[in-house]
Amino acid sequence: MAFFLARRLLYLVPVLIAVSLLTFSISSLLPGDLAMTILADQATPENLAALRADMGLDQPIWKRYFIWLGHMLQGDFGRSFRTGQTVLQALVERLPVSIELMLLAQLGALSIGVPLAIICAVRSGGPFDRFMTGTAFAMLSVPTFLSAILLIYLFAVELRWLPATGYVPFAEDPLGNLRFMVLPAMTLALAEWPGIMRILRSDMIATLQEDYISLAKAKGLKPARILFVHALKPSSLTLVTITGINIGRLIGGALIVETIFALPGIGRLLVGAILTRDLVILQGVVLLVAAGFVIVNFIVDMLYAVLDPRIRHGHA
Amino acid sequence: MKAAIRSRTFAPIFHVAVFGLALIASPASAQKQGGTITVGLELDIPGFDPLKVGVYDTAALSASSAIFETLTYLDANGKAQPRLAVSWEPSEDFKMWTFKLRPGVKFHDGTPFNAEAYKANFDRQKDPANKCRCAFYIAGTKSVEAPDELTLVYNLTDPSVNFPSLVSYASQNSAVHSPTAWKTKGDDYNRNPVGTGPYVLKSWTAGDRLVLEKNPNYWDKDKIYLDRIVLKPLPDAQSRFASLQSGEVDLVWDDEFSADNIERAKKDSKLTVHSYTGSGATVTAFNTKVPPLDDVRVRRALVMSLDRKKMSQALTNGLAKPASNPYGDGSWVKCKDDGALPYDIEKAKALIKDYGKPVEFKKLFTATPRGRAAGQVEQQLWKLVGANMEMEQVDQATFPARGFTRQFQVIGWRIVDLADPDVQMYANFHTGSPANLAQYSNPELDGLLQKARTTADTDKRIDLYCQITRLINKEAIWYWTFQNTYYAISTAKIKGLPKMYSGVIDVSRTWKE
Repeated sequence: MAFFLARRLLYLVPVLIAVSLLTFSISSLLPGDLAMTILADQATPENLAALRADMGLDQPIWKRYFIWLGHMLQGDFGRSFRTGQTVLQALVERLPVSIELMLLAQLGALSIGVPLAIICAVRSGGPFDRFMTGTAFAMLSVPTFLSAILLIYLFAVELRWLPATGYVPFAEDPLGNLRFMVLPAMTLALAEWPGIMRILRSDMIATLQEDYISLAKAKGLKPARILFVHALKPSSLTLVTITGINIGRLIGGALIVETIFALPGIGRLLVGAILTRDLVILQGVVLLVAAGFVIVNFIVDMLYAVLDPRIRHGHA
Repeated sequence: MKAAIRSRTFAPIFHVAVFGLALIASPASAQKQGGTITVGLELDIPGFDPLKVGVYDTAALSASSAIFETLTYLDANGKAQPRLAVSWEPSEDFKMWTFKLRPGVKFHDGTPFNAEAYKANFDRQKDPANKCRCAFYIAGTKSVEAPDELTLVYNLTDPSVNFPSLVSYASQNSAVHSPTAWKTKGDDYNRNPVGTGPYVLKSWTAGDRLVLEKNPNYWDKDKIYLDRIVLKPLPDAQSRFASLQSGEVDLVWDDEFSADNIERAKKDSKLTVHSYTGSGATVTAFNTKVPPLDDVRVRRALVMSLDRKKMSQALTNGLAKPASNPYGDGSWVKCKDDGALPYDIEKAKALIKDYGKPVEFKKLFTATPRGRAAGQVEQQLWKLVGANMEMEQVDQATFPARGFTRQFQVIGWRIVDLADPDVQMYANFHTGSPANLAQYSNPELDGLLQKARTTADTDKRIDLYCQITRLINKEAIWYWTFQNTYYAISTAKIKGLPKMYSGVIDVSRTWKE
């Protein structure tokens, strides 16, 4: 197990280097000149040259990358030239909102997807199964921005059960916080549950045909016990992977959902940084979020090993 | 009121009824104290330190007009009225303006407001070492002097006959900050602004809400009704409107590009649509130094092939008002004849034929859905007369720089709503000015512009500005598409919203019924 862990940790190094390289080059290659952006109507050639020299933009790109990486490794993520906030300050303010949103969305998606998958798997090929597989397919093709607006119109404007936009921190008003979070989380969950259901359903159908399930049935175990204890755990391997990878999709979805519902999370921060060419915030936040994503998937890999002994013993 | 007065002449038995009627009819008694207004704006406010943010956008201006104050403000007729200044006097040549300041005003942190504090604000923005983008907008002021505690002297590079009306809204340059606050807070000042205004910053959660509370020591507090102002960035137009309908916000910013929402709100008795057509316009400049736009026939043909009504219909459901000069309905400059070229496809075709060579060029648009839509409409209209325009979309952040460095053939621009046309007209059309995008030079035009800024008499100035627009329209170096119209939608309970001069939504003197 220790060897497995060490090997996996070692893998992280090249991945993180690649992430930093990508982050830096993508944001540096964005159309538009940073110096021009900052100077705007004062972009005389002299001013531009002076600012470029001041910000080190006249250096070759590889040199800028190493200087930037050096700052990052020392924990200096920089300060926005627009707001004067440091990347870490901005992240600390925004991250809890996005994490809560993603957790709730994932929880919502699982609590819709998992039970439906089990029911469908048990009666696979039946009318409910066929109906649900069709529905899941349809739901997969509904874009987030559409479902968000539909949910707002139904629950906020027509029924007035939930607020359309806004946010209040959990610490300030836990119940209020949840009320604000329901619709955005539901929007994301609506896009996520079909994937979860489809994966778990097909894995479970396969598992239910294994010999040991027949044996368990023959032993006269209760169907519920067979389903939840004997079948669910071995069928959930792919699901765990999907859940990890989903975090990436959720971050992408958060860009849209946080904008529509006006949640002050990472997504909004990134959209704002892109629109205003706030490269310091953009690079710093993308790097940290990507690193977080890599680490979450590392943890998911570890969970794999917990779920399947063959992996941790290096046979797989 | 008329009914009430007439009733009083009848017998006293009507007394009670009359009293009741008078209450209903009198608007003064309706200004209710207390309550909170929640405003939904489009953008996150980056901050308030001019050195950091450079320019205030619409969202920042809503906040700054509650936190800060300016020397003057514009009344409902567009005339400058005293605020931090109590009176003013120009020199004979209109190059020096002396303001007498209001005594006894204090910033929220207790620092006294005086000429010295005002001068410190100006000097900080002007200081080349601070490299403030905001310095561009005060290039026309040489210096600000503080001869005594309550006297402020503006020294201008050029004459300005209407100067007090140009320092009338809480822009990055005109809002007065507490010098103590920016000195002690340093980098953090940007998000902890301190002014003299009727509201004090209470809390600010980035990306979520900015909460302002009534300033108990405000010098004019009798005219301030609401206890609290909450400003929220709601970037999505649909959910912003939905938040108004569902009652989470009381007032939202909007524009004619979400015409559907404005139309729906007009029909809803629970909502009020506030709109103001100011001066200025959305405009386009031709780079007259590059072919085919160096030929006046091409430029005229391009202008004459644009059907503004059709464009307004296609882009804004007909809400946007066509413009034929740079002044607009909100300006005091009204021309009987502005020399606008007529919409005439046949004439345009003939002009292009006369030119003889193919008319192909690129026009710059912002890389937004709106920019693309506007571009497509013009592309179609120009194709009808045989001109091929290729759209080039550039992101908003680099757009102005492309203009100022002349890297364009045709560029979309805006003349913003200011109380006096001089600043922008002079900058946009005088030979050699950095903002002279068309790179057009004409001694006659220069002479008119110079005369218009040094003439005190309003009627004479109007005449001069009409001559100017006739000349520009004739030469077709710029054209005007739509007038600047600003929108806000609120619940019907919100009263007292002033005219949205320069597009500023100032809720600091509103009340809630």
